[in-house]
Amino acid sequence: MTTTGADLIRRMATGDQVAFTRFYDLYASLVFPLIVHIVRERAEATHVLREVFWEAWRRASKYDAARGSPEAWLVARARSRALERIRARRKRGETLVGSADDPSATAPGAEEPGVQHGALDRLPETQREVLELAYYGGLTQTEISERFKQPLGTVRTRIRLALARLREVAQAT
Amino acid sequence: MNRGHEPFDTLAAVYAVGALDGVERREFEAHLSGGCPRCAATLSEHRETLAALARSVPPLAPPPEVEVALARRVGATARGRRPWLSWFVATAAAVVGTAWFTGAFVAARYEAWLGLMARESAALRVRLERDAAALNEQLAQYRGAADLLRDPVTQVVALRGLGPSPEATGRVIWHPTAGGQLFVANLPPAPPGKAYELWTIADAAPRPAGVFGVDAAGLGNHRFAPVEGGKPVKGFAITLEPEDGVPAPTGPMVLASK
Repeated sequence: MTTTGADLIRRMATGDQVAFTRFYDLYASLVFPLIVHIVRERAEATHVLREVFWEAWRRASKYDAARGSPEAWLVARARSRALERIRARRKRGETLVGSADDPSATAPGAEEPGVQHGALDRLPETQREVLELAYYGGLTQTEISERFKQPLGTVRTRIRLALARLREVAQAT
Repeated sequence: MNRGHEPFDTLAAVYAVGALDGVERREFEAHLSGGCPRCAATLSEHRETLAALARSVPPLAPPPEVEVALARRVGATARGRRPWLSWFVATAAAVVGTAWFTGAFVAARYEAWLGLMARESAALRVRLERDAAALNEQLAQYRGAADLLRDPVTQVVALRGLGPSPEATGRVIWHPTAGGQLFVANLPPAPPGKAYELWTIADAAPRPAGVFGVDAAGLGNHRFAPVEGGKPVKGFAITLEPEDGVPAPTGPMVLASK
């Protein structure tokens, strides 16, 4: 899988349109749920998906296989673009992430009915919450610390433990 | 185990999920750019873990129009950046130049003829590829429209030209859970850097339903996804926007449902 993806990106860098189509077929359904989970709006998610793959096409020559798999490269790009979209929406006044004073407010992806969380469901609640807010909601450690009224060190430790646990889950499957 | 490095291990995790902020973020980035193989490896490991997290969620296919739009956009640039084309031109020039200097008039004519044939073949191939892609796209659009019309729930909504394009007309074949198909006519082609964007209108703000273009004859069509949760739609509108589309309308309205 990884070799195929890296090879497709190399061919995309030479202008190979067929490689791009195969790359899209291989990864679009992987990153689309992530984008939907973050922006929570399908029409907007399709905009973001287009931006992500257009950027992958234009920046294919910058991909360095030594720094990570194509999946990691594309997932990081998709998350960034999706968060930019919700930050822009927030600037327009459609607040998605509530203030620290509003504990009922939720971040994108947090506690949505019917949303598939995948391996996140294998985490203890406290770790899952901070990872959701950081990774899908784009909140910083300081913002999470204020929201939960927990010390910064606790937030950091939960994030580190969550990633370690997710890695164990990934290795076991 | 290097215990003095442990704080960086935690910071790497926080950085990987994008939550490191303030001075710590700047310090960690300085530490990374200073060349710390352990932190680089840890970060890479975390990014692979987050990719695995994405894989653990059931896949979700995006609407087909995304691939069609991307293929069209990529196709336009791919034709402009084929490295073999410049290599071919350079080689052909070298061949013709050599023939000139050696006075081999016949050989030069032969090479010129070969070059002409190659150029014509390449142009023909590009044209055929473009025509085949356009026909496939058109076929998919018509099939989609026919599928929608088979369902009695489907509505056909008329659109009327406004402001800068009073002659424009449009029809939306709309199904609340399967999505819609838009057909427009007499709409002038969008200026460079611009495209038409379709909006669905319910109770709240208009929701973007994708960008599209029209051909030289002013005809265009566009397949779009249903509104999330199958919510009812009260109307449709089309505005002129930047070619990548915008999340909220900014340009002039050119068509709207009656």
